[in-house]
Amino acid sequence: MSDLAIEAHQLVKKFPARTSAGGDKKAEGESAPAKRRGFWPFGKKEPKIMFTAVNGVDLEIHRGEIFGLLGPNGAGKSTTIRMLCTLLEPTSGTARVNGFDVVKQANEVRRNLGTLLAGERSIYWKLSGRENLEYFAALYHIPPAVAKKRINELIERMEIKDRAGELVEKYSTGMRQRIAIAKALLARPPILLLDEPTLGLDPQAARRLRELIAELKQEGHTILLTTHYMEEADLLSDRIGIIDQGKVIALDSSENLKQRIGQKEVIRLELTGWHDDLADKLKNITGIEALTAHQQGEADLWEVNMQSQNSRSALPRIVEHISGNGTRLVNLNIVKPSLEDVFIHLTGKALRD
Amino acid sequence: MRSEMIVSSSLGRSTPWNGLRALGAVIRREWTIFLRYPSWIVSLFVWPIIFPMGYILTARALSGVDGSGLAQFQATTGLTEYVGYLAVGTMIWMWQNMVLWNVGYALRNEQLRGTLESNWLSPTWRFAYLLGSSVPQLVSMLTMLFISGLEYALIFGVHFSGSLGLVLLVILASIPAVYGLGFAFASVVITAKESNAFVFLVRGIVMLFCGITYPLAILPEWMQAVSKWLPQTYIIHAMRSAALSTEGFGGIAHDLELILLFGAFWLAAGFALFNRMERRARQTGAIGQY
Repeated sequence: MSDLAIEAHQLVKKFPARTSAGGDKKAEGESAPAKRRGFWPFGKKEPKIMFTAVNGVDLEIHRGEIFGLLGPNGAGKSTTIRMLCTLLEPTSGTARVNGFDVVKQANEVRRNLGTLLAGERSIYWKLSGRENLEYFAALYHIPPAVAKKRINELIERMEIKDRAGELVEKYSTGMRQRIAIAKALLARPPILLLDEPTLGLDPQAARRLRELIAELKQEGHTILLTTHYMEEADLLSDRIGIIDQGKVIALDSSENLKQRIGQKEVIRLELTGWHDDLADKLKNITGIEALTAHQQGEADLWEVNMQSQNSRSALPRIVEHISGNGTRLVNLNIVKPSLEDVFIHLTGKALRD
Repeated sequence: MRSEMIVSSSLGRSTPWNGLRALGAVIRREWTIFLRYPSWIVSLFVWPIIFPMGYILTARALSGVDGSGLAQFQATTGLTEYVGYLAVGTMIWMWQNMVLWNVGYALRNEQLRGTLESNWLSPTWRFAYLLGSSVPQLVSMLTMLFISGLEYALIFGVHFSGSLGLVLLVILASIPAVYGLGFAFASVVITAKESNAFVFLVRGIVMLFCGITYPLAILPEWMQAVSKWLPQTYIIHAMRSAALSTEGFGGIAHDLELILLFGAFWLAAGFALFNRMERRARQTGAIGQY
């Protein structure tokens, strides 16, 4: 048995780009074989524009590790995952899951994968929690006696025993998510693929789910986790791959990734009255790099992060620029780089952008 | 740090029996969900009466309250039971219409709910999802046909002088054609995403060309030529013969042959289109798109 649970080599996925009615291309890319316009078979052929969603991804995920895949929306994270779980066929490149080829042995791959995609929407709301699990146990070809025992075990574990007979539509989001996770665990698959597992959960439910993911690792599952939450990836993952514009741009442990920033510090400001001119002024201060700003909730409160080799020399200029013009400094901190800062350092943008 | 313990294989075992159990699970799921929406009562009991009522009243008006205008109808169709004639035509139309909506949209509805991907991620044979969704629909339609017959006899006083055995034979022979078209439709809908217009087109064609409320003899020749290529034409004709006439098997034999031929074609077309859609969806990611 190979030490690798998931391996992908030069995985590429291209989609035909959508064009607007006027012919403006919404996505830039390269041409594919020409296609005639509409139903008329004799018209002039138009070259088909292709959009590259994943552009040569290489991944090696070891058995028994939690691997975090991070990337902003549209980075190619979901497309990569969909290729690994056989929902999408790669345009080129190869991938193997538990030793099985995702194209040639797709059914074997599905048997070895437990997936959590689309969270609470992946289960039937008009069935009870138990009925959902019984249904999916049959789809995963689990023998009835084994399935019955496993379902009871998971219902206990997910703490839904008292309400397992109720329709899912009456559950809270957190309970639905637990049923969706129980569904992924039904066949006790060697590899779990969890796409944004804590999205939409309240803090307590999210914490409980993170504990569960850590327990599943201890039980010997390999976990591929995608998340928007840097702290979550940092906390759970043995290694992290950062994906941007269809490519894995960094892959290492969280600690090693943070060391890439070297001696840099992060200056974190909270202020009101933020405007674009101010961003330009701050970026021009010597020693300031990778500035990102985002609004905190609906109020006019902004968090601004800047990386700097020497924050002490930059601070007086920063304070000078943000005084006046309706801008008011609410808070200022100098912090050690987080995984989010690594991401900003590598891509020039925040994960939530 | 990686775990010392490693899970190396899943609990699932692929055997033909487990494959059949998966198909059974799809059927049970669909049936359970069907019963949890109380609107099925309307479709089973109310709709079969309401739908043909307009045609029956129109026919009554045209034939005269005393039925004096029925001679011409009898001369064209060989039948005097015009309410039964309309009822059988509209029942077959309702059957095909509901198959287009229910079977045709079975996968699309899963796609909109978000459950199609989670089904697709299991190792079950994918055609089983479409096949399994059709079985409860078939059972509910057979129930509806039975209830409709009872309602027409009790409320409208229709005298079904034919044979129940032959009626069942026609229904059985029609299943491949009616559901094959539904399978083909389901495969188109999943990639086209929005196909209400196609449902309206297909059911409109059936309504106009297959003679659900009138004999084909009154159609222009070109329309009669088109109707020969539609299996519903033969299903309606055979069903009327089986339910309302005393001709026996001889009256439906030729129709049955053609219905079965069309059935083989539409089942093969439905299966081929499904496989093509499934392959195309893997290339384009259509399964996960709403």
